Amino acid sequence: MIALVIALVVLPLVGAAAHLLGVRTHAAGLLSAAGGAGALGCALALAVLTTRNGPYRALSGFIYVDPLSAFFAITVAIVATLAGLGSIGYVQTEQERGELSPVQVKLYVVFFALFAALMLASLEAGNLGLLWVLVEASTLASAVLVALEARSSSFEAAWKYIIISSFGVTIALVGTLFLFYASSALALDATQRLSWAELFAHAHALQHDSLKLGFLLAVVGYGTKVGLAPMHTWLPDAHSEAPSPASAMLSGALLNTGMYAIIRFQAIAGVDLGRYTHRVLLVFGFTSIAIGALFMVRSTNFKRLFAYSSIEHMGIIAVALGFGGTLGYYGALLHTLNHAIGKCVLFLCSGEIVLRYRTRVATRVRGLLGSAPLLGVVLLLGSFAIVGSPPFGLFLSEFTIVRAGFASSGPAFAFLLLALLVLAFIAFMRTTADMTVGGSGSDAPAETPSMRVTSAFPLLAGLAMLLVLGVWIPGGLNDLIMHSIGAIT
Amino acid sequence: MQSLSASSIEGVLLDLSAVMMLLCAFACLGSKLFDRYVAYYALQSVVLSFAAAVVAIHLGSGALWALAALTLAVKGIAIPLATRRFLLHRLDLRRDVALSTGLSTSLILGAFLTVFAYLAIRPGTLPHALVASAVVPLSTAVILLGGLCMVVRRHTIAQLIGWLILENGVFLGAITLVATFPFIVEAGIFLDLVAAVLIMITFVSGLAQRLATAAAPDLRELRE
Repeated sequence: MIALVIALVVLPLVGAAAHLLGVRTHAAGLLSAAGGAGALGCALALAVLTTRNGPYRALSGFIYVDPLSAFFAITVAIVATLAGLGSIGYVQTEQERGELSPVQVKLYVVFFALFAALMLASLEAGNLGLLWVLVEASTLASAVLVALEARSSSFEAAWKYIIISSFGVTIALVGTLFLFYASSALALDATQRLSWAELFAHAHALQHDSLKLGFLLAVVGYGTKVGLAPMHTWLPDAHSEAPSPASAMLSGALLNTGMYAIIRFQAIAGVDLGRYTHRVLLVFGFTSIAIGALFMVRSTNFKRLFAYSSIEHMGIIAVALGFGGTLGYYGALLHTLNHAIGKCVLFLCSGEIVLRYRTRVATRVRGLLGSAPLLGVVLLLGSFAIVGSPPFGLFLSEFTIVRAGFASSGPAFAFLLLALLVLAFIAFMRTTADMTVGGSGSDAPAETPSMRVTSAFPLLAGLAMLLVLGVWIPGGLNDLIMHSIGAIT
Repeated sequence: MQSLSASSIEGVLLDLSAVMMLLCAFACLGSKLFDRYVAYYALQSVVLSFAAAVVAIHLGSGALWALAALTLAVKGIAIPLATRRFLLHRLDLRRDVALSTGLSTSLILGAFLTVFAYLAIRPGTLPHALVASAVVPLSTAVILLGGLCMVVRRHTIAQLIGWLILENGVFLGAITLVATFPFIVEAGIFLDLVAAVLIMITFVSGLAQRLATAAAPDLRELRE
């Protein structure tokens, strides 16, 4: 078991280590993706073992793996594998064009791997202090990726990202502090008082006021990382300026890691505070959906459009957690997985479009179905998937969430959610439909490099997964989600 | 864990340190020279490490002694030196002109925040606090002032210092409210802090090279 726990974190680093030892970029990239796939294998094994034998604890609670950690680890590992594959072609093309120097490529490979490994490590941390340390560390690793292309705009985005996120995460540290303080009447030692499992077991005996304060501060703090409005302002800049495979990681993995931390805090606080935690998440969730959808209406940069859509989806997940109940949590977890895969596909696709058209402005990309059929099809289907149309997985998870709304909070919230989803649908499709089938009149791409297998595979694999998840939820996944819900309620 | 009463010698020293830290934060808010920002931050960190040492004596805790030493070495010496050397001198920065409010306005705002901190967190609301004194509201005030510094100052370096002040406030709160997190967690927090400062310094110099200024109001390329 401990071998799996370690391998999950070490495997994504293999490619970067090989690159530092002199393996060429292409081979190192393949190795990185293979490491991601290996990590996925470990995560799946952990999922099977923890659903069967219960949570695994080691090192006096510093390591704690339960089905919820395994579920999020699977999500992150899938994204890391797909984005790792997508990176190979992206980085090589940029390097051939002289946009990236060998040093920058090295930085990319190393920090991409660190980013993935730190996120996976944070999902295995059972100690809330350690969780904080790892989440902040993953922020720092990803900030380097955002600044990688070294334009003034990417430095600007990276600065905004690092200063706002560090500020936010520091607030989460204060929240952790208050939670630690809330347990001071308990007969536990300092390490146990930060251990999630101990805190959850003693949640009813925590001191009420500081628990409430700790939960609020944690939601605001980690919510900054999740991109919940109004703490979302770094998100569109960072997502649009980062190299596209890194954007896929930010959107598909980093945001979920932040949400994971919020879920952990909500589980502890929910025991004593009950509906209060739900109300807090509903407020942040609906604000995020509304802000995301409204800004999608006026986004002209397609990477920013995807970024605002991420804010919207994180809002949907927060709302689902706010609806609560088995149905709400089920929808939230399913949506986490679906959104991660869908957004990963879309950002990887956007990377290929940026490489061809050398622009991020949506109006300058037209008739993609004609000029690059594969990208056109992927963008169109990916867009349909992400706005929640059947038969893709996001339809199913959003439908579950709406049902949870009817069941728990009455029709008003559910209808509000539906209305916002419709707005998001229109705003998103308006832009991407024009990009794929709109008339010509745009700058046709100067050169049309043929697509690499390593770039095409993650797009198609991701879409296939979304399609499968839309029509069939494997029994194992269902078990894993149900056990995850069991672990936090 | 026994409480420190406000009248014991340690309690008085701790109160005094907290007030000193608040004054440093105010001094930073009331200054316009980059050199001063860094100097006040360094002073504040030295006082923080002194406060940690006081609690360490009181509790006889080795971990807290280590924390005090780390604070002095990293926050009191290394970070100010690095900021001065790699940013202020290399980029030849002297006066901060990117203020969004006047100095007096920001000082008045700071005063309001301090009052707010006292009203919001009265010592009486914290039954199990390690220190039965004014340190917790004071540390809250330092946190708020650090945040204010990040908001009203728009130069990237001022924002960096503001964040560091905020971080100091969190630490002051931590050592008085709960003595300390497990040491391994504290060490991790320090590691993150150092890495964050290094990366931020790189970003600021990268920005300065490309824009010939690193003032946040000039960062408007990404505005829609």
